[in-house]
Amino acid sequence: MIVVPRLSTILLAAVTGVVAVLLYSPLFVPIVSSFFPVARGEVDWSSPTVSTYVALAGNHEILAALRATLVVGLCTVVLAVVSGTLLALYYHGRRAGRSLLQFIVFLPFLTPPIISGLALLIFFREIGLERSLLTVIVGHTVFVLAIVYRTVLTRLQSMSRTLVEASYDLGATKWQTFWRVILPNLSSAMAGGAILAFALSFDETMITILVTGTQTTLPVRLWAMMRLGFSPDINALVALILMFTVLLCALAARFLVPRQIATQRS
Amino acid sequence: MSSAGLGRPIAFRWSPLVTALAFALPVVFVLAPLAIFLVYSFFSVDQGQIVYAPTLANYLRFFTDPVFLPVFWRTIVLCLSVAAISILLAYPTAYFLTTLHGRWRYVLLMLLMVPLLMSYVIKIYAIRSILGLNGFLNKALVGLGIIAEPSTLFVFNMNAILLTLTLLLIPFAILPIFLALERIPQVLLSASHDLGASNLQTFLRITLPLSLPGVASAASFVFVLAIGDFLTPQMVGGISGFTFGRILYSQFGTAFNWPFGAALSVALAMVVIAAILAGERFGRNRGASL
Amino acid sequence: MNQNCDLLTLRSVSKSYGTVPVLYDIDLAIRDGEFLTVLGPSGSGKTTVLRLIGGLEPLTSGEIRLDGQDISDMPINRRPFNTVFQDYALFPHLTVAGNVGYGLSVRHVARKEIAERVAKALELVQLGRFTERFPAQLSGGQRQRVALARALICQPRLVLLDEPLAALDLELRRQMQEFLKSIQREVKTTFLFVTHDQEEAIGMADRICVMEAGHIRQLGTPHELYYKPNCEFVARFFGENNLVAGTLGETRGEFRAIETALGRLVCSVADQPHLKAAATGARGFAAFRPEALHLAGDGDAGNRFSGAIADLAFAGSSTVATITAGGDAAQRLRLRFPSRMDGSVLRAGETVALSFAPHEGHLVLA
Repeated sequence: MIVVPRLSTILLAAVTGVVAVLLYSPLFVPIVSSFFPVARGEVDWSSPTVSTYVALAGNHEILAALRATLVVGLCTVVLAVVSGTLLALYYHGRRAGRSLLQFIVFLPFLTPPIISGLALLIFFREIGLERSLLTVIVGHTVFVLAIVYRTVLTRLQSMSRTLVEASYDLGATKWQTFWRVILPNLSSAMAGGAILAFALSFDETMITILVTGTQTTLPVRLWAMMRLGFSPDINALVALILMFTVLLCALAARFLVPRQIATQRS
Repeated sequence: MSSAGLGRPIAFRWSPLVTALAFALPVVFVLAPLAIFLVYSFFSVDQGQIVYAPTLANYLRFFTDPVFLPVFWRTIVLCLSVAAISILLAYPTAYFLTTLHGRWRYVLLMLLMVPLLMSYVIKIYAIRSILGLNGFLNKALVGLGIIAEPSTLFVFNMNAILLTLTLLLIPFAILPIFLALERIPQVLLSASHDLGASNLQTFLRITLPLSLPGVASAASFVFVLAIGDFLTPQMVGGISGFTFGRILYSQFGTAFNWPFGAALSVALAMVVIAAILAGERFGRNRGASL
Repeated sequence: MNQNCDLLTLRSVSKSYGTVPVLYDIDLAIRDGEFLTVLGPSGSGKTTVLRLIGGLEPLTSGEIRLDGQDISDMPINRRPFNTVFQDYALFPHLTVAGNVGYGLSVRHVARKEIAERVAKALELVQLGRFTERFPAQLSGGQRQRVALARALICQPRLVLLDEPLAALDLELRRQMQEFLKSIQREVKTTFLFVTHDQEEAIGMADRICVMEAGHIRQLGTPHELYYKPNCEFVARFFGENNLVAGTLGETRGEFRAIETALGRLVCSVADQPHLKAAATGARGFAAFRPEALHLAGDGDAGNRFSGAIADLAFAGSSTVATITAGGDAAQRLRLRFPSRMDGSVLRAGETVALSFAPHEGHLVLA
């Protein structure tokens, strides 16, 4: 424990409090507005309502965008988990070419989204691929691949090499070893990576805005609506999404925290 | 024992086909687009048509035109300011977290990270409405008697961009600093106290130097994220808050000059690479963990 | 099982990692049914020997024969050997039963038979109640026994054990040594046990193979290695020993003289023709155990010399005296004698006459 005299602790706590207020204020505005009417910066606390939520259920435009977002998210997760896991398996323990490939995989994560997005935009144009949800899925997959790759590789590296040797030693074939030993030990890392990937895809705005077609995802739809100002039901949507994402991330944390079982190595 | 043999997994012998596939996805969808993008920066546009002939005109224009370089510098200064303010707020916060015991430390850390999960667009919108002429901030300032009239100081200008980006990016500064602080072995602090140093001396001579790598990573993180953001300036910057990202984006929209946009992106990429390298260089842990 | 029949033979086996050689031309014959321990310091190549036999690493040259058949190129999963790994390598996602039954299950043995054999194997290692536990819920000793049961269930011709006791504390280690030995007697399977701990090797092995720097230095029973080491390395590595350098003198019957800084010493060369045959004047060592050295009495004729007691170290049942002797007091010797309740019979600083019996001394060529 760091020993801090009282006064400095109070000051530190005060700064932390200010930071927390700053971080949370943009969250509270839409959530409060989803239950209370707001006009000219004043909240009318006297008349709570769920009418915004009712209105949301009838907003087909938003619901369609939400559906598209979910489709993109699921496709992205499947593609990223499969290829990220394969890449991690392929490159585990190898030296030649690994750092190069790793660098390429991490590139979209490091480059500003405007650059990766524009690069993809030009690429799709050059290969003659019409912008649509498909191009969005490709963009998202490339973006989240690094996350899945990293999570799976980390688990793979923490896995004792002798597990594989033991499996062979006991007479298992290559495939038996893969299905019965390697994959079960990776599954929780894969699940954790998948949830993180989904969360990133769900809120990805900047790449999406550049590569999307007419049908588009929720953040981009919200972005387009924002110029005109939001209808109150958007606040309801935001409140719901925030709740959902918090749940999702709590879930991801559970998968990614190393299980006790993994501690048996000396 | 045979430590030389430990690096080589016996797990799988992959066929060349699998090797090709392993490279295919990242190479086709990451490397190829970036390469084409780079090549594009050497093309030009004539009457809405892209001319596929190599030229340095785009780069020349970037350096000679009186518009672009000033915006470029101004954007870099803006993002450096965002990084600096974020760190000024994040460091005490991260430090406070490490003074907490047991699970509270991580609960509070998680709470400070939750805003990251909130929809990005919505956050910008909410911040805009807070900063607006009729927003909560002006209401509060007037209510407290600090200003008499609602101020336009934070409405549709560079200040608005600065505040919004800072608010959005603080969590990215807290995390690396917290991790660096947490990694400092407690025995070092005890040893410092044991050798007669005061709390302040211990902080200045032990804690601060050992946490600087975390500060460097945080600065590099925040800077890169800020400079790559073109939506926030678009939304809260109005007409006066013109950033490099917006100019770049407009080349692909209203201006329709993709090759020039690509050249601007290369300039942006250079800055980003420099920032990442600097973060790497100074962010490397110099054996702080025993 | 016939102990005199060779189960597995290694013929001029060499192994290099890249350009770094780790084994040079090893020849080794493992007898059917024996408990053979490969003993050596770390870096001696002992684990490599085990990994080559198990098929975890390919040979660089030479061959491995099982019942006379060359199995050098047989893949690991077809070899009728099973390994107990140093870190046990229990599958963390499988229960104890799942782990032990793995070898049968991958061979598509019927579920019912697997269950029966798993139960029997766990019974053997006294873990009958733990079938549904996960490895993380077991203690170190229990994991060890699961790993053993898992290795035994496929009835391998040879069980390879790679320092399996290294991670256990001393008391548990002793218990496991006895346990392993008794299991080996019960299942009558050949055990190849790798360790760096010579006490462990002495306690368990039928035969010990001492390795150093990629070579086999000596292969023999613990008794042979202890009393008739054939080289300086084994003499020093295997238990506490006093080595005094000198040149060989004449042979008289089963004894041979050696001229040393302590004077002329006479040691036994019984059953060691190479020592009888060595040229006079060849360099060598007189070797005698600390417990063979004693205060010279009137009756002790041979191997008498005097030394000063530099230090006394009480070690419970015995006390060890460090003695300096010879010209310039350059030779350091150890003398071990039973401790006595009323205090030591020796005092530090004292100069005493010492002796060891010729039949308790031994010669080692340099």
